[in-house]
Amino acid sequence: MTNLVASPSVRAQAREQGIDLAALADKLGRSHLTHDDLKQPSGAGATEATSAIAATDDGARYWDIDHSQYGPVHSEPTSRFSQVAAQNLGAANRLIPQVTHHDRADVSALERFRAELKPEAKARGIKLTALAFQAKALAVALRAFPKFNASLSSDGKTLTFKEFVHIGIAVDTPHGLMVPAVRDVDRKGLWQIASEIADLAARAQERKVSPEEMGGASMTITNLGGIGGSAFTPIVNPPEVAILGITKAELTPVWDGNAFQPVPMLPLDLSYDHRVINGAEAARFMVHFVGLLADPRRMMI
Amino acid sequence: MADNHADFIVLGAGPGGYACAFRAADLGRKVVLVDPRATLGGVCLNEGCIPSKALLHAAQVLREARHGSDWGLDFGTAKVDLDALRAKKNGIVGQLTSGLSALSKRRKVQVVRGSARFVDAQTLEIDGQTWSFEHAVIAVGSAPIQLPGWPEDKRIWDSTAALELRSIPKRLAIVGGGIIGLEMATVYAALGSEVTVIELADQIAPGADAEAVGILHAALAQEGITLHTSTKTARVEAAKSGLTLHCEGAFSGALKADAIIQAVGRRSNAAGVAPEAAGIAVSERGIIEVDRSCQTSVPGIFAIGDVTGNPMLAHRATHQGHVAAEVASGHAAALDTDLIPSVAYTAPELAWVGLTAAQAKAQGIAHKVTSFPWAASGRNLASGGDDGLTKLVYCPDTQRLLGASLVGNNAGELLAEATLAIEMGATLQDLALSVHAHPTLSETLAFAAERALGTLTDL
Repeated sequence: MTNLVASPSVRAQAREQGIDLAALADKLGRSHLTHDDLKQPSGAGATEATSAIAATDDGARYWDIDHSQYGPVHSEPTSRFSQVAAQNLGAANRLIPQVTHHDRADVSALERFRAELKPEAKARGIKLTALAFQAKALAVALRAFPKFNASLSSDGKTLTFKEFVHIGIAVDTPHGLMVPAVRDVDRKGLWQIASEIADLAARAQERKVSPEEMGGASMTITNLGGIGGSAFTPIVNPPEVAILGITKAELTPVWDGNAFQPVPMLPLDLSYDHRVINGAEAARFMVHFVGLLADPRRMMI
Repeated sequence: MADNHADFIVLGAGPGGYACAFRAADLGRKVVLVDPRATLGGVCLNEGCIPSKALLHAAQVLREARHGSDWGLDFGTAKVDLDALRAKKNGIVGQLTSGLSALSKRRKVQVVRGSARFVDAQTLEIDGQTWSFEHAVIAVGSAPIQLPGWPEDKRIWDSTAALELRSIPKRLAIVGGGIIGLEMATVYAALGSEVTVIELADQIAPGADAEAVGILHAALAQEGITLHTSTKTARVEAAKSGLTLHCEGAFSGALKADAIIQAVGRRSNAAGVAPEAAGIAVSERGIIEVDRSCQTSVPGIFAIGDVTGNPMLAHRATHQGHVAAEVASGHAAALDTDLIPSVAYTAPELAWVGLTAAQAKAQGIAHKVTSFPWAASGRNLASGGDDGLTKLVYCPDTQRLLGASLVGNNAGELLAEATLAIEMGATLQDLALSVHAHPTLSETLAFAAERALGTLTDL
């Protein structure tokens, strides 16, 4: 006979939830367990409770259905790679209270500058993409807003500020999403940034990016501009505190005081961890970032 | 390709099998239920629990009529019309089995009459037809053990034959003093047989609390039943004039009988389904090994009830049946308890659950015992009850109830309170502070608790 007391219905419920009652009793320092104890498995901090529930609820009741009753289907196993990604994304979405802030940047000056550099880029054999400018501008913005280049400890009690600026680049590959990071973007020139992004993206397509090349980003950029779309809400990639989503620049009529002018506007979506960053900070950060993209000369200041 | 396919197939329609089939159907499975009998319900309903209870009820009425004179009531000499009694018993069985048929129809359970055996881990064969299946549950039960070396004779019965009520033998010997043997002794003694019970162990109802068993032993002896414990039946001779049992041990000598009931236990029927063909692990006594989720060593194949070993009791099988259906349908279920109550429907009844004092001692579990004698129960005496006992085993540190043994009229019904109390982790005080109606036999549980707590005013 153990000293643990739990009624038959509590034992059945615990089994359904995958909760080890002996371990729970141990943790709570009690011999009697009730249904209430199963609702808050940790009996402690919210983060802990959330993760305990996440670990025990496999969601079988939502997904374990016979789809063939509705029409013909076929099944394929998911790759180990996508299973890990799914776990990470699920955890990020569950654990981080996220807000997405939307803004737009006038990129006519940036695009003019990029066009002017084209002959030189051709000579150097480097494709000077808009993404390289965006990464550089983000690195500069992160220097100005250190809180966006930080990570929260798991207990929520410590914020760690990073004195480096590495930018993660989300890359769409045939085997799934990969996020290699370009190191020290704030200290590198555009030519180098552009060539490093091109190199990492090419190697990512062949899964030839080492794990060391993927960790440690300050913030991630996920740019869907080459495909389309006008806005989206990316999920923060922990332990980062924000992620920048970018879609396709669009010629937009902008009132210049006298007339509407066709201006290429770039949609920007910043999802951030609201535990670390509040809305006003996010707005200020984006105003600053939009300013850098609108007038690339400001990156030098 | 198999001839047929079953989403969920249950082999055996006893109390475990039909409960499993119905639960699975309620969970949305398409269920096939296979049994060789013409009626559902298995041994329990057709030739076990239910018919024996019908006969025990008749025996009880007979005994009370005979004791009527104690109360100034004279019913004359009771006469037994064996054919009418058998018909009444069969009528009750028929009513219940047809009720089960209706329940299975309502759940759209497909009943297949036949015997199934495994061809391999994915295929069953039922009377020449092959069946593939998603999940299979083995619930083919058990059969009475036939003692080796005994003569073939129509006067040697097993429990099934005894319940057929073929005749009332003048002298009846019962080999085996467990629950089944004692119930048969109760029935046939009331019907007028001179009954002798021969038990190998040093007490009848082996495993039950010795003190409670002592009260039952005395009551059975009072009814004219001869009980020989620590006695072995070495040999049986069949002659035209009668049967002779040669006994050794505490009782040594020859015993004449007109009929003998073999009641030395039951053996798993697992071999009949050829579990080895599916690669299912089976112990040497034909017991299929299962975990608490009733899963065998082969994924997708479950086993429940008597084929999974002791205690071979219908209520254990029923619970296992629900567990197997739920686990197979994606739920995390298990038979998450060791508390399986036992009841001997003798006169008086003997019922126990959880630890006896002897088991607690043998397992080195700290325990104390308290009890309440039914001689001090107003309800018991006013209802014509004789000696009885409510005995509780509890933990001295936590005062939690660990076990209960009851002997007396309706002890089987009273046991449920103790089972619930142990499952809920109730203490003696929980029992004592729960108000029990007066006068009832159930008060004896609260009184026993109060006795240990020093708050009893009824003794």
